[in-house]
Amino acid sequence: MGRLFTPMTRGKKKFFALTALFVAGVFLTLPIILSVTALAGGGGGSAGGPPPEVLEQRKAAAAAAAEAGESVEGEENKIETGRDVYYKTEGPAIGMPAPVTADNETFYPRYNFESRVLLWVANQQHLYYGSFVLAVPIFCMCIEFAGMVSKDKAMAKKYDQLAYDFIKISLTAYSLTAVLGGILIFTFLTLYPAFFGYLSGIFRPVMHIYALTFVAESATLYIYYYGWDKMREGVMKWVHLSMCVILNVIGTVLMFLANSWIAFMMSPAGVDEQGRYLGNIWHVLHTALWNPLNVHRILGNMAFGGGVVAAYAAYRFLSSKTDEERAHYDWMGYIAMSLGVAFLIPLPFAGYWLMREVYAYRQQMGITLMGGLLAWLFIIQATMIGILFLTTNYYLWQALGRMTGGERFQKYIKYLVFILVVGLLVFITPHTIVMSPAELKAMGGQQHPVLGNYGVMSAKNGGINAIIMTTILSFIWYQRGNKVPTVSWSKFGNIFMGCFFVIAQLNNIWLACYGYFIPANVRIGLSVPQVAGTLSCLLLMTPLNLAMLKGGRELGPIKWGQIPPRSQYAIIMLATAFTWMMGLMGYIRSSVRLFWHVNEVMRDNSPWAYTHTIGFAANVISFNVLFFWISIMFVFWLGTLGAKKVPVKGPVTDAIPGGAAAQPAAGH
Amino acid sequence: MTWLKLVEGYMPMQMITELAVCILFFSICNYLLKKAGIGVPKFWAGILVWCFVNLFYLKYRIYPPIPFSVRAIYGTVSACGIFMWVSGSQEEWLEFKRPIINVLDGNNFFTKSIRTVLLLLLPIGLGAFAYNSLLPSFEEPIELRTVHPAPPATTKVHGKTYVLQTAQQPYRIDTDGKYDPAYSNAHIVDQSMGRLMKDVNSAEDNPWDPNAKGYIKHVREGGEIFFQNCHFCHGDNLNGRGLWAFAFNPIPANFTDAGTIAQLQETFVFWRVAKGGIGLPGEGFPWASVMPPWEQHLTVDEIWKVIMFEYWHTGYYPRTWD
Repeated sequence: MGRLFTPMTRGKKKFFALTALFVAGVFLTLPIILSVTALAGGGGGSAGGPPPEVLEQRKAAAAAAAEAGESVEGEENKIETGRDVYYKTEGPAIGMPAPVTADNETFYPRYNFESRVLLWVANQQHLYYGSFVLAVPIFCMCIEFAGMVSKDKAMAKKYDQLAYDFIKISLTAYSLTAVLGGILIFTFLTLYPAFFGYLSGIFRPVMHIYALTFVAESATLYIYYYGWDKMREGVMKWVHLSMCVILNVIGTVLMFLANSWIAFMMSPAGVDEQGRYLGNIWHVLHTALWNPLNVHRILGNMAFGGGVVAAYAAYRFLSSKTDEERAHYDWMGYIAMSLGVAFLIPLPFAGYWLMREVYAYRQQMGITLMGGLLAWLFIIQATMIGILFLTTNYYLWQALGRMTGGERFQKYIKYLVFILVVGLLVFITPHTIVMSPAELKAMGGQQHPVLGNYGVMSAKNGGINAIIMTTILSFIWYQRGNKVPTVSWSKFGNIFMGCFFVIAQLNNIWLACYGYFIPANVRIGLSVPQVAGTLSCLLLMTPLNLAMLKGGRELGPIKWGQIPPRSQYAIIMLATAFTWMMGLMGYIRSSVRLFWHVNEVMRDNSPWAYTHTIGFAANVISFNVLFFWISIMFVFWLGTLGAKKVPVKGPVTDAIPGGAAAQPAAGH
Repeated sequence: MTWLKLVEGYMPMQMITELAVCILFFSICNYLLKKAGIGVPKFWAGILVWCFVNLFYLKYRIYPPIPFSVRAIYGTVSACGIFMWVSGSQEEWLEFKRPIINVLDGNNFFTKSIRTVLLLLLPIGLGAFAYNSLLPSFEEPIELRTVHPAPPATTKVHGKTYVLQTAQQPYRIDTDGKYDPAYSNAHIVDQSMGRLMKDVNSAEDNPWDPNAKGYIKHVREGGEIFFQNCHFCHGDNLNGRGLWAFAFNPIPANFTDAGTIAQLQETFVFWRVAKGGIGLPGEGFPWASVMPPWEQHLTVDEIWKVIMFEYWHTGYYPRTWD
C-alpha cells in the first residue's frame, strides 16, 4: 500500500499543504461569506411574513411612497411604512408586530416553578461553556505559535504539549456546550414560545447563519484536534496553526451573532414601535450596544477561559504526587493565568465603554444599573473586580518566591498592598449606602460628606486605575524576579520607569480629584487620559522592561513547582471570582430590561416580570457557579482518563518547566 | 476627635492622606524598634494595624459616623489587605504564623493555659453570637433606599409630555436667546461657598444687575422661586440644612454634595421636582420623602428656572452625554 504513494519532495508537500489549507479555509468560512452576501441582500423577513419576492415588491413600493411622501395602496396589498425606533429611518413594515402577551398558559406555558429561573440557569450554563470553548482555542493558538517560534527545542515541545492539553479539555466542553445550547432552545420554545417566536422571526436569516457557522466551527475544531499528530512537522505545522486561526475567526463571528440577539433585546433597532421588522437586517444586528458588548465579551471570555484552565492546573498541582507533576502544573497555571490576566487588564475599560453607551442610549437604563435598582449589584461587581486584581497581585508576589533574587522585591509588597487596598476601598464604596434610619439620622442625610465623594464615578476611575497600575508594576517585578538588567542604559532605564509610574499614578489621582470641579461631560472625557496613563504603563513599560532584561544576568533558575500552595488557592479563588462575576453581570445585563422582553417594544407580561431581591439573585448565581464547577470537574476528570502513565522521575529544579512532562508530547 | 478638623472640600483626600501618614508612622516605629532588637512580631503588627484602622480611625475619627454596612466592607477589605501583607513572602508568613503555631504546639504552662482559655471562650463566643442573633430586636430595619432611582422615559407635567432623554432646559440660553449650555456653564459661581460672589460684577455674571438678561436673569428668577418655596427645607446654602430640615428623616437633599444634582441630568431633576416624593418609584421609598409634587404649586417655567438656580448656586454642571 505504501508503495502506491511515492515520497513527496518538500516543495510538493508545501504546495499540497497550502492548497489544502486554502480549500479548507474556503469551505469553513463559506457560511460567513454566504452570510455577508445574505446580509447585503437585506436578509429575510419576519417569521410568518410574505415570501421574498413580495417583500421586494413591497420595498420598492415603500421606497416610491417615501419619495412621494405618501403611503401606497396597491390593489391587493396595503403597504405600511414604519419608523426605526433607533435609526429613525423609514422602511416598509414587512414583519409582524411584537406579540402583546398576557399572563396565561398560551403565552407562558409553565411548570409549577418559576420559568425565568429555569431559563436563567440554562442560559448561564450555556454561556459558561460557550465562553470557555471560545477562549481556549485562542490560547491554543498563542501557545502553539509560541512553541513554533521557540528556538529551544525542549520548550517548543512543552508549549506544543500544553496547547494540546488545552484543546483536549476544550473538546469535551465543546460537546457539552452544544448540548446546553439545545437545552436552552428547548427551554425557550417550551416556556417562552411567543417571545422566542418573535425573536427568531426577526433574526431568521441570522439564526440560520449561526447554525451553519456552528457546523463550520465543529469541523474546524475536529480537524485541528485530530490532525495534531499528522500535522506536526514543517509546513504542515503552520497549516495546523492556520486551522486554529480559522477556528478562532469562526468562533468570534459565532459569538458576535449571538451577541446581536441580546443587544437587540436591550437596545432594539431595525423595527418600528410595534416591533415590526423594517427590512434592514443590518440595523437589527448593529444596535446601539452590539459593538460594546462584542468587545466586552471577547475580553471577558478570554479572562474567564484563562481562569478556568489555571484553576485546572492549580487543582492538578495541589493533587500532584511528584515534583515533575508539580513543576508542570505550576508552569501551566502560570501560562494560563498570564493569558487570562492579559485580557483582564483591558476588561474594565471595555466595561466602561459599554456603560457609557448604555447611558447614552437610555439615561434611565444607566441609572437603573449604576445608581438605582441594581446599584448594589454593581458594588458587588466592583468587589469581585477588586478580588480579581488583588488575587492576581498576590499570585505574582508568591511566584517571586520561586525565583532566586525574587526576595529583592518582596520587601516592598506592603506599599503595593496599601495602594491596592485604598484603591479598592474607594472603588467599592457605595453611593447608596445600606443603613438603618437611626444611622441615616446620625449621618445627617443620604450622602456621607467624606465617603459620599468616593461613591461617584470620578473617584472610582481613580481607584481602579490605581489598582491596575499596581498590578502592572507587580508584573514588571515578576519579570525581573531572577534577572538583573545589564544593558548600558539600565540606570537611566530604571529611573525613567520609576518616574513614569509615579507620574502616571499622580496624574491618575489628580484627574480623579479634578473631576469634581468640571462639567460631567468633560469629566467623562477625563477617563481617557486616566486610561491612557494606565495603558502606557502596560504597553510602554512592559516592553521597555523586557528590552532592559534582554541578555540580562540571571541570578538563578526559576524553580518551577516550588511555590507555596497559597498561590494555587489564589488561582482557584481567581477562577471562582471570574465565574461568579460573569454570572452576576449576566444577570444585571439581563434584568436591566425590567419588565420588557425587548426594551420598549415587547413587554414581559409573565408573572415573573419583576426584579428579584439581591439575596435571591445571589443564590441563583451561586448555584450556577457551583453547577458549572462540578460539571467542569467532570470534564477535567474525563480529560485525565485518556492520559497515559509516565514513569516518575526525580526532583526537578530546572528552568525547563516540568522537566519530563507529566504526559508525553508525542503520540496523542 | 473633633479638635482635628476635616476640611470641607478636601475631606476625601484628607482621609486617605491621614491613613497613609499613620501607616508610614507605624512602619518607621517598627523599623526603629527592630533596629533596637524589640520589633513588634508580625502577628501583633497585623492585628494592631487592623484594629487601628477599623476600630479607631474609621469609627471615631471620621465624622459623621460611617454606617455599619460600610465599615463592615472596609473591615473585610483591610483584613484581606493585611493577610496579603503578612503572607506576601514565605518568610513573612512563617513569622506571622509562629505565635499561633507556638500556642498550638507548645507544652508549657503558658501555652496550655491559652489553649484552655480559647477552648472555653470559643463556644461561649459562638453561643453569645447565636443568642444575640436570635434575640428580638426593636431597632428599625435596615433600609436599602435608592437615592436616585431610575426615572421614567417620559413624564407628563401640566398636560405636556417630556421625553427625559432629549428634553432641554428652555432657559439655559445666551444673551441672544439661543440654547447654549457652554455659555451658562461659563457663568456659574465658584463652587466654594466663601467665594460665592467673587468676580461677579458684570451684567453677564451678576443676577442682580439691572441689565442682566438671558441665562443670568432667569437664574435670578429661579432664585426668587427657591427662596419663596424651597429654602425652608433645602437651606439658604442649598446644603439640605434648612429651617425645617431636621424635622424629617432623611433630611432633604444636599445640592452642594457631589453625589446629588452634580451627577444628574437636568431633566431628571425636573422630573423629581415636578413629581415630588410621592412620585418616586418603589425602590426610592416614596413614603420616605416629604417633598411635595411641585407641579401642583409651580408652573413648568418656574420649575425649570429654580433648577437652573440650583446648578448656578452650587457651581455644578448638569450631567450631559454629548
